[in-house]
Order: sequence, then structure tokens, then C-alpha cells
Amino acid sequence: MTEKGYVGPWAAIPEVVRVTFRQLLGRRRTLLLVLLATLPVLLAVAFRLADQTDVERFTRRIFDTISITILLPLVAILFGTGAFGSEIDDGTIVYLLAKPVPRWILVLSKALSAMAVAILLTGVSTALAGMIDLFPAGNDGVLATEAQVLAMVVGSACYVSLFLALSLFTRRALVIGIGYMLVWEGALSFMLPGIANLSIRQYALGAAKAIYQLPLQEARLSAETAFLLTAVLVLAALSLAIWRLMRFELPGGSD
Amino acid sequence: MTAQPVPEIVTPVAPPPQAPAIELAHVARWYGNVVAVNDVSFQLGAGVTGLLGPNGAGKTTLLHMLAGFLAPSAGEVKILGRSPHRDPSVYRQIGLVPEREAVYPFLTGLEYVRFNARLQGLRDPDKAARASITRVGLDDAMDRPIGTYSKGMRQRVKVAGSLVHDPQVLLLDEPFNGMDPRQRIAMMDLLGELAAAGRTILFSSHILEEVEQVGTQILVMVAGRLAASGDFRAIRALMTDRPHMITIRSSDDRKLATTLMSEPVVFAVELTPTGLSVQTAQLGVFRSRVAGASRSAGVRLLEVVSSDESLESVFDYLVRR
Repeated sequence: MTEKGYVGPWAAIPEVVRVTFRQLLGRRRTLLLVLLATLPVLLAVAFRLADQTDVERFTRRIFDTISITILLPLVAILFGTGAFGSEIDDGTIVYLLAKPVPRWILVLSKALSAMAVAILLTGVSTALAGMIDLFPAGNDGVLATEAQVLAMVVGSACYVSLFLALSLFTRRALVIGIGYMLVWEGALSFMLPGIANLSIRQYALGAAKAIYQLPLQEARLSAETAFLLTAVLVLAALSLAIWRLMRFELPGGSD
Repeated sequence: MTAQPVPEIVTPVAPPPQAPAIELAHVARWYGNVVAVNDVSFQLGAGVTGLLGPNGAGKTTLLHMLAGFLAPSAGEVKILGRSPHRDPSVYRQIGLVPEREAVYPFLTGLEYVRFNARLQGLRDPDKAARASITRVGLDDAMDRPIGTYSKGMRQRVKVAGSLVHDPQVLLLDEPFNGMDPRQRIAMMDLLGELAAAGRTILFSSHILEEVEQVGTQILVMVAGRLAASGDFRAIRALMTDRPHMITIRSSDDRKLATTLMSEPVVFAVELTPTGLSVQTAQLGVFRSRVAGASRSAGVRLLEVVSSDESLESVFDYLVRR
């Protein structure tokens, strides 16, 4: 119920989203991520000029090698950990916590902001690369592009949720995230096919199957399973983040 | 800091006439074996109260417990009759100015205060933000990014953000840090106005003179304990009358010691391997007489050092009382 003279807590969402956007996009590292996001587009142009525009070659050489393996996790982990992490580091989180706003609204606003920025960067990069290289291949190319963009959306939601929650537990969330990306998804998931259920990359690739069967052998999950696991992961991670933020304590400081 | 022997409270604060806005009952907070705040109890009503103590005394920990950011390990904290921990709705009535300087540097002053107003759920956040900015005298700079502000301006914009919803209780952690004398006076006047309007204000400081100019009531914390509380003037007198320690080196320490013992303001002289250790209750008077005393004794002064002028020594004295 809204108190007399006040608007409801929902009014906080656009304000927190606005400030989070400026926080995430105003950092120097974002510029580096934008440069990284242009790489698939530049390669797509090169492929197009070399007349190598078939779906399989593009998917294996650009999407699989760069977009989903490096760009997506790096962008989403950095934005996911940065949504709360940077405020915890510099102490500005106190300005969020000292407000009569339910903690789930703060978590939801931060998560939506980080997901939107991650999807914008990875999705636009993937869509542009696909339009340049795959659209000339006909309907298959269009569907493959759509499937790849969907993979970026699903992957962004998962990585952001997981690492946003982790950033509320440890200040080393970014290091853990990079370790997860390199060790778990980069090495172990290739050697141990059984861990597909615990790999965000697999959720993203599986979800893409709902639109188009990408020519990638390592996409091991069905679309249904991938969507189910994505929903479970996002809900669990954000619930954990809310639980943690409700119990979040600020240290006493120097005195 | 670690647990200390229990000091006596000097002059207990009289309970406020109305229901207290801030209540602490036997509050303690520890981190493992480290005791940050130990068995602190007090009640505060409307008015300005200074929380005084040296660095490391536990002031910020205490303020964070009052602001609901830390749970007490023992005891009870209440703001307006409610526990502030894990109850965000209490922030409708609390304004908080944290010690850390960081404020979103990419926002302008107006945007930052409006951000606070919107998160407080105010119906006209822009009007409230402009009014609050005027109150702290930042109208001319409100459209500049906070990243370009001086330290004193950042403190003022933080205060504007904390006042935008007209809270009943205001908690300020070292609010005068970085302010120039003119800004300090303006801020002190503002706190006085708020107190006169019935608000409860608790601010921390490690500078005696700041507290002297604002707070009529003070709480003195030392090593996590409440060492003294009550009317400022009574505690200030205790601080002023405390014995001062002065170390002197001269051409003939023994001869000078005999002469100094005849001075009424000196009540103890000790010969040490490096010189004389003199105790006096009136530092200013002693300083004006020591040169004449040495001249009359025919002794040349080599060095006169006041060895216990630090704030910590003042607090230590209060704890020992």
C-alpha cells in the first residue's frame, strides 16, 4: 500500500536503472568491450569480401570462436559483477541501501540494467555480423542469425544473474567469473560432456535450437531443457541476491 | 581495538522528556575477537548531539548500527521505537550522511539529490531536490557534475541528499570533513535550525571544537566504550582541568626542578634520564611562567615540549576518571 504523500516503490526502478546505465556505460572498460564487440562485425565484413558466406563457416569461425566463447561471457560477467560490485567498492551502495525501497526492487533494477547493456552490446554485434555475412545465404542465414542473437539474450540473462548475485557475496566475483569462463566453460566442458547442465554456454546454445539448429556439435541440450535451466538459474540467482542484499552489512570503517 | 576495562560514565544523559527517537540498550558489536562497540546505552530526543571520539573509537560502527547497516552482536537498537536492521521502511524517517566521500561523480548535484528524492518516493522530487540544495547553499553548482566538486561541496551535497525527505532523525558521520570555516558555520547553523524544529541529530567527530560549536549534549567514545555522556560544558571542564604533561630539557634539570616546584600551577616534577617531566593543571599559565622561572634559577632552557596534547590523551584521561 502506498503511504499518503508518497508514490509506490516501483517509482524507484527507472531511477536506479538510469543511474546504473550511466555507471556501467561510463567506465573505461566499457570502451574496450565495445571494441571487442566490433571484432565479429569486422571479421564478417572480411568474410563477405572473401565471398565465404556460408552458415557453417560463419558459425564455426566467428560465432563459436569469438561471439559466444569470449564476447558474451566477458561482457555479461563484467556488467553483472559491476552492477552492485562497483558501488560496494566505492561505498556509494549506502545511498541505495538507506532508502525505503524493497530490496527485490533494487536487485531487479540492477539486474535488468546489466542484462540490457549486455544484450545491447552482444546482440547488436551478433546481429550486424549475421546480417553482413549470413543474410545473403537466404532463409537459413536469417534464421541462423536470429538463433545466434537469441543465444546472446539467454546467455546474457544467465551470466548477469549469476555474477550479480556472486558480487554480493565476494569482492572476487570478477576473478571467479573469468575463471569460470576460462576453466569451466573453456576447458572442462569440452573434456567432460556431462557438465553441460552446469554450463551457461550450453544453455545459450540449446536455447538457439528453438529457432535454428546451428551447425555446432557441442550444443548438447535441447531447447526445452535449456529454457528450463535458464529460468531456474535466473530465478535462483536473483532470489539469492535479494536474500543477500536484505542481510547486507556495511563494515564499521576506520572508527 | 580489543576489549578494555569498563570506564565510568561521567555524567549520564537525562532521558529526553518525550519518547526518545534513538535508543540503545547495552549494545555491543564485535568481529571475531575484536570488540568494536562494547555495552553502550543511551537515549536521545530532539536536539543536536555530538558523538566524539578518536579514530578507531567505534563511532562509525555505532552509526552503522543506528542506520540499520549492522546488526548488534548484543543489546538492542531502536530508532523511533523500531529496530532499523532489515527494515527498509525505517529510512523514510532517517537521513544518513556517510563518512566516505564517494558520491556518484557522473551525476550533477541536482540529479543526485533528485535521485534521493525519487528513491524516497516523494511526489514532487524535483521541487524537493531544489529546496534541499538551496538549504545547503549549492544552487550555483547544482548543474555541475559532482566529480568536479571540492570535498566540502561533496559533503554539502550529501547533506542535501539526506535532508530531501525531511527526516525525523539525521545521522551524520564526520559531516564537517573538508569544509572551510564559512561552510562549517553555515552547516552548523542548519543543524541548529533542524534541531529547533524538533529533529533528532547525531553527528560524529574527532575534533573537540566542532562538537563544542554544535552540540549541547555529547557522547564520548573511547575504544568502543561510552566514556562520557551528558552536557558538553561539564565534560569540557573535565577535559580542561586535566593534568598536562610537559617534558623539559635544560642546562641544569635538578636546579630547575626545585624552582618549578615553588610554582603554584605545578603539582608534580620528575627527574628523568632525558630531562624533567612536569605536570600542571593550567598549561597556558605554566607556559607563561616557565621562562621567568628558569631565568631566576639561572638555568638555560633547551627544550619545552607538551607531551600529551593529542585528542587520544584527552579521552584516555576521561576513561581513567
